[in-house]
Amino acid sequence: MSEAALALPDYRDLSPELQERFRAIAERETILEIDGVRKDFAAPKGAQPLPPVLGGVSFEVKRREFICLIGASGCGKSTLLRILGGLESRTGGEVRMNGHQVDGPGADRGMVFQEYTLFPWLTVKQNVMFGPRMAGQGRDHSEAEALQWLDMVGLSERANAWPHQLSGGMKQRVAIARALANSPPILLMDEPFGALDAQTRCTMQKHLLQIWKNVDVTVLFVTHDLDEAILLADRIVVLGARPGRILEIIQVPVDRPRHVGQLLSPHFLATKKRLEQLIHPDDPEADQDLPIIRMTQVGDEAEEPGAGRVRTMNGP
Amino acid sequence: MRKALSPRANLWLTAGAFLLPLLAWCAVSYLPFVWHPKVTISDPGSVDWFQKDMQVDRAEFREENRKAASEGRALAQGRRENPVYLPAPHQVARALVTAFKTPPQRAGDPWLHQSLGHSIRIIVLGFVLSAVFGVPLGILCGTFGLASRLSEPFVDFIRYMPAPVFGALCVAILGIDDAPKVAIIFIGTFFQMVLVVANTTRSLPLPLLEAAQTLGAKQRQLLLHVVVPGVLPLLYRDMRILLGWAWTYLIVAELIGASSGISFFIYQQAKYRNYDNVYAAIVIIGLIGLGTDLFLKGLGRKFFPWEKVDP
Repeated sequence: MSEAALALPDYRDLSPELQERFRAIAERETILEIDGVRKDFAAPKGAQPLPPVLGGVSFEVKRREFICLIGASGCGKSTLLRILGGLESRTGGEVRMNGHQVDGPGADRGMVFQEYTLFPWLTVKQNVMFGPRMAGQGRDHSEAEALQWLDMVGLSERANAWPHQLSGGMKQRVAIARALANSPPILLMDEPFGALDAQTRCTMQKHLLQIWKNVDVTVLFVTHDLDEAILLADRIVVLGARPGRILEIIQVPVDRPRHVGQLLSPHFLATKKRLEQLIHPDDPEADQDLPIIRMTQVGDEAEEPGAGRVRTMNGP
Repeated sequence: MRKALSPRANLWLTAGAFLLPLLAWCAVSYLPFVWHPKVTISDPGSVDWFQKDMQVDRAEFREENRKAASEGRALAQGRRENPVYLPAPHQVARALVTAFKTPPQRAGDPWLHQSLGHSIRIIVLGFVLSAVFGVPLGILCGTFGLASRLSEPFVDFIRYMPAPVFGALCVAILGIDDAPKVAIIFIGTFFQMVLVVANTTRSLPLPLLEAAQTLGAKQRQLLLHVVVPGVLPLLYRDMRILLGWAWTYLIVAELIGASSGISFFIYQQAKYRNYDNVYAAIVIIGLIGLGTDLFLKGLGRKFFPWEKVDP
């Protein structure tokens, strides 16, 4: 790592196109204002007061921006997203959506969860129609819209299937279509691909970027996967734990359009290295060997230098 | 453990579940050496208190014959039989048909099919009444803390009182006809139902409610478009189980006030020592129960096509 690291560029070093892009984003209107948001949990009687889950978090989200929230477990990134979605109360600070105070959930902030939350009693199409129907739209109109959204996520052929007949990736695509059917200005995504296998996850990231490119929507995306964050985001908000706070907001120096081929590009690696420094600063657990005694008697020296030698002896 | 069986194995095992007890019953009935603890006298011989067609214990029969033999008197003749309260399968099978065709012993008593019809009417009335009030109240309790706190402690309190203890009260208040019987079924199922429905409603995964809220659903819409359809298949299953309980309370209900229905029929037949009819009536109750449950199960598959497994 050390020699390769010397060759990496500074992660703050942006190409002229990206500098231009970030300038343009900064000039756009603010969609979501997060202003000193706190979340405390009351300690049990007599116990030491707990450090707040979120100790005053502030940042702004611009229109059409893609922001990833990342941080070690326990940093309150999911809690923050749930507060923004109105599903959790805050103990301090303010959240303003298009200038209006956020109190409780609403159709203007679509959410996609890590768990599969499609309604099992509705078909795929009816799931996507749910939001418009709740808003009082007619059946025909919302059905036509639902089919369009399903087309966008490539599932129009499964419109009449039941959710339990879909794979995990398909379920999350329907969940995205369902959230978008309300035409929310912002989409809050809480580790939506966390339960998927690596390959599906990769495909879903590509799909999400395509959708975001074609729909006028701002995305706030919680993840603990560094690659995912760098691949998707314009800006990455890095949170630290105990108390939950912003460590740094990184402008991702990787050019758009993004693709998996960039995973090994110098700017990508530089960003990843910076994220690792922030999230796991000299993690004592990482370098520690487990105090395990030898419990195998077979002479297979797995994980030892020269472990392959046994096999080559039998070879030609 | 918990492995799915093949459809073929399932079928065989289901058949076996009924065949094994039937075989055991046949063995006890048709193989004299298995049990047959009684002797039915065909010829009293010299034993003066024996009469033709009288059933006595085998030990008694042997003892009397031993005495007769030692005194050189004529021996009594008889064949081993089961007690009258255990008729053979073919007798019960015959009774299943004849019980419907035989007029009641006392003029004015109901025929078997009338008794059955009456029982079913009481059950349906009591159960529907309790579902009409119990299901909505249970759903409210499972959804809103206020409703739960306000009603569940009291419901839980009454639930522990056996429904039959209300029998005398019901008759005093509602008279001796069908009303107190329906009331017993209602009391027996309603309070259980509220708690069962409330717990089932609470089992709805919270993320579904949260997702619906972020899609813009408000209180009333959440209740009608998420909670109710979300728990409906489970509630349907609960109702099937509770319907079985209603049959249990029927037996009590029918013996208060003016006795009626299938329990009264069984009671009467036992009094006349027509045990084959008693068994026939019990088997009929079982068949009605099983038939209803299978029918409702099939109907459930139609109602809830999104359920992966049977509701």
